[in-house]
Amino acid sequence: MSQARKARDRAAQWIIAQEQPEWTDADGTALDAWLAESDMNKAAYWRLEHSWREADRIGALGRGAVIPAEKGEHRRGLGWLAPAAIAASLTAVIGLGTSQLSRIAGPSETVVAERFATAIGGHRKLGLPDGSRVELNTASVVRAAISDNHREVWLDRGEAYFEVAHDKTRPFVVHAGSRRVTVLGTKFSIQRAGDKLIVSVLDGRVRVDDTDDIRAVRSMIITGGDIAVARGPAEPATVKSGEPVEDSLAWRRGMLSFDQERLGEVAAEFNRYNARQMIVSDPEAADIRIGGMFPASKPGVFVRLLRDAYGLKIEETPDTIHISD
Amino acid sequence: MDDTAEHGRKDSAGPMPNDEAIRDWFCREVLPLERSIARFIRRNWRVADDVMDLTHDVYAAALAGARTGLPLNTRHYLFTVARNHLINRAKRARIVSFELVADLQTVPQEIDLLEAERHLHAREALRHFHAGLEKLSPRVREIVSLRKIEGLNVKETAEKLGVGKDAVNHQLAMGMKALADHMLGGTGKIVRRKYSGRRDREVEP
Repeated sequence: MSQARKARDRAAQWIIAQEQPEWTDADGTALDAWLAESDMNKAAYWRLEHSWREADRIGALGRGAVIPAEKGEHRRGLGWLAPAAIAASLTAVIGLGTSQLSRIAGPSETVVAERFATAIGGHRKLGLPDGSRVELNTASVVRAAISDNHREVWLDRGEAYFEVAHDKTRPFVVHAGSRRVTVLGTKFSIQRAGDKLIVSVLDGRVRVDDTDDIRAVRSMIITGGDIAVARGPAEPATVKSGEPVEDSLAWRRGMLSFDQERLGEVAAEFNRYNARQMIVSDPEAADIRIGGMFPASKPGVFVRLLRDAYGLKIEETPDTIHISD
Repeated sequence: MDDTAEHGRKDSAGPMPNDEAIRDWFCREVLPLERSIARFIRRNWRVADDVMDLTHDVYAAALAGARTGLPLNTRHYLFTVARNHLINRAKRARIVSFELVADLQTVPQEIDLLEAERHLHAREALRHFHAGLEKLSPRVREIVSLRKIEGLNVKETAEKLGVGKDAVNHQLAMGMKALADHMLGGTGKIVRRKYSGRRDREVEP
């Protein structure tokens, strides 16, 4: 087999493996080493990876709804883009011939809406039509509507990391429940957990607006290196400066990072990624502080550590892992 | 065998680029030329089955050369690398004829510029993408769709279809490679797109 063919095959396997929940830091290191081996490896990998992402970007143009916005219509909130409306327009577009489609998607403003989801333990990287990249964490749903004038994304559930393509003329807005995050920079992640919204900014600035009450819009700007936690609608958001933002994005590499966090919270974090739920049954055990990095998809490894290092009692069933003192 | 050394002037822009910059350049400027470069190789090489391999050889040599500085004129650079590589290969394979070398001495200047730098209009890109999907076997297409549209991972796909993970891996890889070949090499309506960043500084021949 030629060197090129070997490199192509291996590159395809790397790209697939990278998208699986079992992907670890060690795998990342192995990939880097393989890429460093030769320019052929780099060429084959970059080429396939590029076109694989392009497929998302282009595919997103077609599977969603093409909705021409009314002239001068001001779009507020997402009432106009309710799921039913998307479904209806989607059906309409499928039913249309190509000529009609091109007429609708003509010079007037067009909106392309697309829904992406991951299951528990899932991890996806996507390209949006404007060139921005999105990474979905476990059990997450986003919808994206990219038009000639607007870029809007709805984080319906879970957590997503964004790398926003620079475009001053089209603001990039993420809606998360009653809050709206406007991007003034480039790299950040947003997590929804019940009423709580956590925004971690790696690079640049974002603005978070509370949109519940139009008369009293609360705004805050979060800059690179900060993590903001917004709780209930009535509570003001707090900003934690100097937190290791990189650690809170460890999920992008399939890892969970903890800095002296309570076992109860650690278990809840693992439970986001695995159908098999960890249950900490007594309060004393739940209060134990945990630090370190662990593979998100392997709660077993973590639990064995609890048993061996902390002497905790572990009872495993197919659906649950019970932890007690 | 250094395919870039022979042509002396690369007209590199700026300081030594890092891997990130080289990758960015490769995806933005080199890959869109794949169709043209593959056609050039096909015209000048008698074994059609070698075209994909040779294209990759050219990419690898182009990356090696770009390490000391990105070329100002990517198209000219890439065709020069391709020509040198074909001559080297022909020499080594002892299939060289004077005609071949003579033909190859001049890098085609009259490359269809629009063709070479084609960027598909969104609708065309979509149609083209769907044509690529259509080309896949039904099984491979289904597996690619489950990954790309439903977001299923290999394990979930294997469970859903009742096949082994190795089979899913294999077919997903086939689909990925076939889609890349189609999307980078296929035909489509040509539109010129305005470029941003350092492309503005590129000098047209």
